[in-house]
Amino acid sequence: MTTTAENDLVGRGNREGASLFREWFSELDQGAKEGQAAAYVFVMGSFNEILKSFDLPVVFPEINSLQTAVRRVAHEYLEEAEDHGYSPDICGYVKADIGTQLRGGEHPMGQIPKPSIAVLTNACNTYLKWAEAWERMYEMPVVTLDIPGNRSANNASAPGSVDFQNDVRYVEAQIRELIAVCEKVTGKKFDIDKLREVMGNVNSLSSSWQKLLDLNKHRPSVFNALTDGTIYLGVANGLRGDARAASYFSDLVEEMEYKVANDIGTMNEEDWRLCFVGVPCYPIFRRFNEMFSEWKGTFVHSTYLWFASGGSNLGYQYDLANPIASLAEGNLISVRDAMDSMFHHDQVVEKMMDGFGIDGIVYHPIKSCRTVSTGLADGRRALAERTGIPSLFIESDMMDQRVVSEAQMKNRADAFFEGLIARRNQQLISQ
Amino acid sequence: MAYAAGVDVGSTQTKAVVINEDREIVATCLIDTGANVTQAAENAFRQCIETANILEEEVEWVIGTGYGRYKVTFGNAQVTEISCHGRGAAHIFPNTRTVLDMGGQDTKAIRLSANGEIADFCMNDKCAAGTGRFLGASASALDIPLDDLGPTALQSQNPVQISTTCTVFAESEILSWLGKGKKVQDILWGVHESISKRSMGLLRRVGIEEEITFTGGVSRNTAMVKSLEKALGCKLNISDQCHFAGALGAALFALDHIQASRLPQSKVEEATS
Amino acid sequence: MNKDFMDLIRNQPLEEVLFQCRELYENVQFPTVKSWRERGGKVLGHFQVYFPAEIVHAAGILPLNLHGANVQPDQADSRFGSYLCSTIKTTLELALAGNIELDAFITHPICDAARNLGAIFGRNFEHPCEILYLPQNPNSAASVDYLRGEYDRLKRLVENIAGVEITNEALANSIQVFNKNRALLRELYDIKRETPEKIAAEDAFALVALAGRLPREDHNELMEYVLPLIRAVDAHREDRIRVVYEGAFCEQPPFDMVRMLGRAAYVVDDDFLIGLRYILSDIPIGEDPLRDLAHAYIEDSSYSPVQHDLRKRKENMLIERIRRARGEAAIVTAAKMCEPGLEEQVAYIHGLEKAGIPFFVSEFEENQTSFSGLELQLETFMENLLFV
Repeated sequence: MTTTAENDLVGRGNREGASLFREWFSELDQGAKEGQAAAYVFVMGSFNEILKSFDLPVVFPEINSLQTAVRRVAHEYLEEAEDHGYSPDICGYVKADIGTQLRGGEHPMGQIPKPSIAVLTNACNTYLKWAEAWERMYEMPVVTLDIPGNRSANNASAPGSVDFQNDVRYVEAQIRELIAVCEKVTGKKFDIDKLREVMGNVNSLSSSWQKLLDLNKHRPSVFNALTDGTIYLGVANGLRGDARAASYFSDLVEEMEYKVANDIGTMNEEDWRLCFVGVPCYPIFRRFNEMFSEWKGTFVHSTYLWFASGGSNLGYQYDLANPIASLAEGNLISVRDAMDSMFHHDQVVEKMMDGFGIDGIVYHPIKSCRTVSTGLADGRRALAERTGIPSLFIESDMMDQRVVSEAQMKNRADAFFEGLIARRNQQLISQ
Repeated sequence: MAYAAGVDVGSTQTKAVVINEDREIVATCLIDTGANVTQAAENAFRQCIETANILEEEVEWVIGTGYGRYKVTFGNAQVTEISCHGRGAAHIFPNTRTVLDMGGQDTKAIRLSANGEIADFCMNDKCAAGTGRFLGASASALDIPLDDLGPTALQSQNPVQISTTCTVFAESEILSWLGKGKKVQDILWGVHESISKRSMGLLRRVGIEEEITFTGGVSRNTAMVKSLEKALGCKLNISDQCHFAGALGAALFALDHIQASRLPQSKVEEATS
Repeated sequence: MNKDFMDLIRNQPLEEVLFQCRELYENVQFPTVKSWRERGGKVLGHFQVYFPAEIVHAAGILPLNLHGANVQPDQADSRFGSYLCSTIKTTLELALAGNIELDAFITHPICDAARNLGAIFGRNFEHPCEILYLPQNPNSAASVDYLRGEYDRLKRLVENIAGVEITNEALANSIQVFNKNRALLRELYDIKRETPEKIAAEDAFALVALAGRLPREDHNELMEYVLPLIRAVDAHREDRIRVVYEGAFCEQPPFDMVRMLGRAAYVVDDDFLIGLRYILSDIPIGEDPLRDLAHAYIEDSSYSPVQHDLRKRKENMLIERIRRARGEAAIVTAAKMCEPGLEEQVAYIHGLEKAGIPFFVSEFEENQTSFSGLELQLETFMENLLFV
């Protein structure tokens, strides 16, 4: 028997997340049709705090691109960009967006507004080349914010140290420069109280995000980090700083706390707790997950939820009495963490493994994203040497169906589970 | 006496093996896969029981493996060829810790733990460089029979370096070396070296531990063995049975099933819970 | 000092000097670096492109410009995925295989793959392996201050490795040595522009490359000796197209490919090994040499696809380079799997089309051995320009 509370609560996050996501796109669609322009931003350091304080609608081209893959029309966009001169070896996100721009913003989720400004960080170098393409197309302001990452593993400069101060001063100066550009672009005066309000919403979101990820330590796990997690990420990025996102995430935490209290798992039987490392396989998003759920495996964590949330997993809380300095410090610390989740994934995964009871790791390096994928093979080698954790390594892409071979992936997933089972049986026998 | 069978449906050839309860091979069969995968699996299996001179009913469990494993419609279960090659190799050479399986369509490196489970594995990706297909393309470019590739390559005195890793471009590179007056054996040795280099990459990825067993169709190629041994700096385990390692592994998994089903029910639950 | 190599070239005729330079560049065992170590010297390896080698030099450490080599990545291959350029693999290979031995490794966020090299080296070697975060927002008023701080961090790291303090005087002296080196390299490029028949493309390439392999003082000596000899060459100018080559800011085309390019056309300007000559004019030395270095990077450095500066739209910069060199055509290449290079190709192509400059587009890989297809296409392109 299910109770009324359960009926209302369980699954609410996915329902409302999907509906908020559609709402965001329909607002963009409406704006675009009325000729309104938007700010183009990226998931790692979106600076929505500043942009939303100027009431600028935000577009995340990364999300637009992945939506073309999920909706199975990515190839049309990729081909359009390739006809324009982009090599098959270039990031599929970039190309699907170029395709969208070449089609005048036509997208399966609605009309995408043109950019009035683009804001990006150096967390991914491809962001820079991508924004350069818009600059040429639209001749609008492009603001790069340098967020210097950690210089080596386990070596983050501590707040107050000479090196941290050098970095944070630079980030703060750039934020002030961004504000000046936004004033020019919108013709509005900067309103620090509005900024405080938006930052307050982000504080709430970050703290919920941190709690949410932590709740999945529970057995059985209460959400699938790969499939459900991607829905949550869409809201966390697109509506960052919006009051709707803040309340969505406190509701989501409530739902997951309820599931924890009542041992309601995401699967009927949970045999294998897996960690996903990389970017999801959007062209076969559901099918990819099924290759693991068929064997009663579920993704209880994913590095994607760290870096694609811009490091919100740290739950950094802005000091609203000191908004600009705190925005600089918070972004330096959080975006730096997002970069560590990509470059030093072996370190962060190792720290997380025990608490989450991880049985195996699935690495998904992709052709498109060298930021995430370059170090996966080596980090996997290092982590296996240190911990002996079983892992699966499958290369494909997050956009380009041409390099996604479902049969090959399934074969490897099957072999991975056969190995996990043999290992577990061996342990039982030796006990 | 109960029997167990394994049918390994590969891209080029289909292999079947029947074993008895003492884990001894009683019959093997090897046929070309051709276009009808289901038919090939069935033919291989039937020929095998005919050779073994046993009745189909005596074969209590059949496991299909290989890329066509889901086409083994008469089989009872499927196991991937990765697990099967690991199992088969460890059976043929019990001290095996690393397996290199080189087939027509793909190459796998498998690392086994001390008790024979798969500790890690790695396969070539979409591209056919470093697989049997690369050899096939070279054989057709040079117009010599597949079986003569190894012996010819072993006569090389001044090997050339093949730089392309693309099977499609291999042909034009081979022709350009011929055009430059290079000898067939020198080009062929270069082809073997190029494949063994790719395989070394896969092996390093899983970690190389001795003993190393070489399985799959290409394991019969003497030049490939020599070139790999040169790159590895040690001997490879090879036997006539290596070609059947996948089917043998499948048969061993089938026998496990037969034996487990005879255990009292309580023990089975214990082992699988 | 690397007297072994310098002894081979001193007082030798030009042909012999150039032969030795080509041999040294192609020697993947890095003999000059090995002999530096044997004499007790330390080596800091830095990946391409923009690196303030002066800071390393000032501590008496050899700054080694790393851009892979024509080797097979036998050991490094298993540490990478499939869709990556060759040069990051072979750079790691050189270290794993022991062709080079380092005391520190520095990479930069010039691209997504190169930034990962820091962590990858760090997992494989005990010595310091770090990222130098150069600003990608040189348009910020705060970028020079920030970069000065970042160079100061590098200076402290180098001091730790060297066990000596880097004084302002030492730094000023190093800047002077490098200023001289850059002036000599500019002179070589003047010769290429004005009298391209006097020096083959691959010889000029090797001369530049050795700046990253030899102590800079030795390289200065080499250049001072060789430049007058090149000027004195009596060569006949042939009927060849003057081209500008673009696309070798990081991974370098194989030597045989440069030779092939030089046979097909006069390469009057290029971005070969731009990282060894990225500061465009002499750095004025004031009271704070670190700031002078930082200022020079922000205000006076060469463009490339991996430098993002709103003032330097790359296709405009390339067109300016072509006009300055009186180039008749451009060869626009990218290393295979090089994301920034391939992305920039799109802008270059559209820009050149608009400017009406003929161009030839191609990809390459540093350890490619066959160029017959490329040569055929390139010759056809040149013939079209010559005969139409």
